[in-house]
Amino acid sequence: MKLSMFGSEYSIPTDIVAAWVSVIVIGLVATYFVVKKRKLYVIWDYMKTTNHRKIGILYLLFGILYFFRAGIDALLIRTQLAIPNNDFWVFQGEKYNELFTTHGTLMIFFVAMPLLLGLMNIAVPLQIGARDLAFPFLNALGFWLFFAGSVFFNLAFFIDMTPEVGWTGYAPLSRAAFTPGAGTEFYVFGLQVSGLGTIFTALNLIVTIVRHRAPGMLYTRMPLFAWASLITSFLILIAFTVLAIALYLLMFDRLFGTGFFSGDEGDPVFWQHLFWIFGHPEVYILALPAFGIFSDIISTFSKKRVFGYGTMVASIGLIGFLGFMVWVHHMFTVGLGPVVNTFFAITTMAIAVPTGIKVFNWLFTMRGGVIHFTTPMLFALGFIPSFVIGGVTGVMLSLSAADFQFHDTHFVVAHFHYVIIASTILGVFAGLYYWYPKITGYILDEKLGKWHFWTFLIGYHVTFFPMHITGLEGMPRRVYTYSETDGIFLLNALSTVGAFLMGISMLFVIWNVYKTHKMKVKVSHDPWNGRTLEWTVPSPAPVHTFEPMPVIQSIDAYWYAKLAGHVLPTTTDVRIKPLERDSIQPFCIAMSLLIVSTGLTFRWYWLAITGGVALFAMLVLRSFTDEREDFYGKGDEHA
Amino acid sequence: MKKIFLLPLLLFLTGCNITVLDPKSDTASEQAFLIEFSFWIMMFVVVTVFILFTYFVIKYRYTETRKHDLPQDVKGNIKLEITWITIPVLLLIVLAVPTLAITYDQSPQWTEESDQSGVVIDVVGKQFNWTFTHANGTEEMDKLLIPEGESIVLNLKSADVIHSFWVPQLGGKVDVIPGKELTYEINNPKKGTYQGKCAEYCGLGHTDMTFEVKVVSKQAYEQYLQK
Repeated sequence: MKLSMFGSEYSIPTDIVAAWVSVIVIGLVATYFVVKKRKLYVIWDYMKTTNHRKIGILYLLFGILYFFRAGIDALLIRTQLAIPNNDFWVFQGEKYNELFTTHGTLMIFFVAMPLLLGLMNIAVPLQIGARDLAFPFLNALGFWLFFAGSVFFNLAFFIDMTPEVGWTGYAPLSRAAFTPGAGTEFYVFGLQVSGLGTIFTALNLIVTIVRHRAPGMLYTRMPLFAWASLITSFLILIAFTVLAIALYLLMFDRLFGTGFFSGDEGDPVFWQHLFWIFGHPEVYILALPAFGIFSDIISTFSKKRVFGYGTMVASIGLIGFLGFMVWVHHMFTVGLGPVVNTFFAITTMAIAVPTGIKVFNWLFTMRGGVIHFTTPMLFALGFIPSFVIGGVTGVMLSLSAADFQFHDTHFVVAHFHYVIIASTILGVFAGLYYWYPKITGYILDEKLGKWHFWTFLIGYHVTFFPMHITGLEGMPRRVYTYSETDGIFLLNALSTVGAFLMGISMLFVIWNVYKTHKMKVKVSHDPWNGRTLEWTVPSPAPVHTFEPMPVIQSIDAYWYAKLAGHVLPTTTDVRIKPLERDSIQPFCIAMSLLIVSTGLTFRWYWLAITGGVALFAMLVLRSFTDEREDFYGKGDEHA
Repeated sequence: MKKIFLLPLLLFLTGCNITVLDPKSDTASEQAFLIEFSFWIMMFVVVTVFILFTYFVIKYRYTETRKHDLPQDVKGNIKLEITWITIPVLLLIVLAVPTLAITYDQSPQWTEESDQSGVVIDVVGKQFNWTFTHANGTEEMDKLLIPEGESIVLNLKSADVIHSFWVPQLGGKVDVIPGKELTYEINNPKKGTYQGKCAEYCGLGHTDMTFEVKVVSKQAYEQYLQK
């Protein structure tokens, strides 16, 4: 589209115009409703909040928002690939490369991560009897850093500077010599800033789970979601630090001409090592919390405690540990030699064992139970066979010589969508339906939930199953078209149909949320007949929970108390609770990092320095404030 | 659910039409063998899980008659758990043996460490085309001619970013990396014309970075070199 302004001609791609128009329209409508319903104070309230449930809600809201955005990217990709030699809209070549880069980066970093962190934020403290996360201020900061990073990354699209290096950002393509525009900077800083927030939240969760469990909530009595969150947090701590280092080095390569990842001075393969030392644990960071959610849900709706609790915990730990020893299976074709390839093939296969244990333990949790097909349970049931399909293709991929064929084809695309959608996405949906009463006080409509489940599940299999075959037919990933002679037209068309079915299924979610909030039917504190502590507090979870504090005497303590017909014993002898104090500082700190990122991206160093000074000033200010003083008194009195 | 696991079976039974499973060299045949071998072992796992899953879900579902049933409180069963630790380990060992053998044989190596006996061809990947240089200096872009029945030694280099050399019917991928030279061997190719492509995303023209491979008789190859 051509535009004449101030005497000169600008040419704006039509997809950008469409994005601006839709965002402005949606923005205006949203603003109108906020102002008309006098809800501005709610926004201000959430900007200052340090409460775990509210921060969790923020994570979920933005995760879902980006899920729709990245989902639209996916639909555009599938439309372009629907028929051979397609010429859909602008999505060939550069624009297509931007599409799959955005789709991947958003889905991993700005959809899966916040959705899981949101659920952990809400459910973990309630499950273990903590009154909040250990460091409420840091929790808010973690969210706002994620927010700043995600906004920064998304801005790129609106000024037509979307990165086009793939979500893996392989060097040397991601070096300034090959992608000179500012696009890749948006990738680097977007991930760097949000990754910092993720690290903070992981630290926070570790301290919370270690320090703030209810009396008697031993590690051997913790719900599996809390266990999974604990181990995931350790994985985040290590993996995201490695990502931060990789991005930091890439930043130096791009901005200041160092040669860490160049073929002359450094080594491009060095980037791949760093990226996958982060990237493979990341897969388990996405999967383990979902495993935890499914364990709790399958147990709740089978009316049985989880089968083999000890091995379930051990296998989460083992998966997390082995997850750090398999990264080279993403690099079998880079020529690291037969010994390395064999070693990593074996370690990768080994992960199948603890994962297999979990699958069978889930099956045997259901055996002998009374299975209620509620919406959360349906998602958990859909997960098991789907995840097993993704798991066995994972074993096939681990055979390094076979991977020479599979690598970078649609077979791999099929594999990782199978595992990530089955675990993370179905897990998040299950968790959302399950904990929705705890989050909002309302329960989502079961009928619409089931419509959502079936359309999504069928769409998901129809989309990704054919990709196994197109991959073996020789279709590489990240290509924008294929020819009639490749013989993959029907399979690709089928994938596209499936993708749109998944798109339609999301409309049921919108309808469901709208309907639920229109009906305003309040639910009790325990709508699912739950087993764990979160079901003892009111729905939605209030700011002050666990007063008095319950004492835990067994696994699934609430369930056994209900069976025995008594209430949980309580105590007032508890650790000092984390103190929430509203503060706008976390938001401001994150915004100053956004300014630093903008400055560095466009080489406006004065702006970067301004942002840096503001950031430093706020950190100093923060170091001298202790909001707990006026509550607990000064100094060592309570140490 | 049941349809889903019948579908791959049917598709793999007609597998001979699928490019990668229709190999035209010894190298690709070994890979196809590994893929099919692992597929059947994995089908055993999938079928086991699906049967148990379907059985449990149907048998233990909530019905009006079971309204007041309270399931027995089962903590676990160490024998069962050992069973599903042992069987997967055994299956993986069965899988690991051929994997090790083929991987040792086929993994790409540094050119200076590799065995250069065979028909040696230099390959250079560049945004967005391929240059093939034969032993006597004959050079052609995006078209590779090789003799049948020989051992083809490809020395691969990149002039800019990372690419990946892939001819599905003749063998798996090898990355083409700036600053290093890798050697990949394709053994005993059969006559025919095959599609080759770049399999590592390399920028704007990645999709179009394809080439053609012609496997011809030894005489025809000699003639080609003389031209």
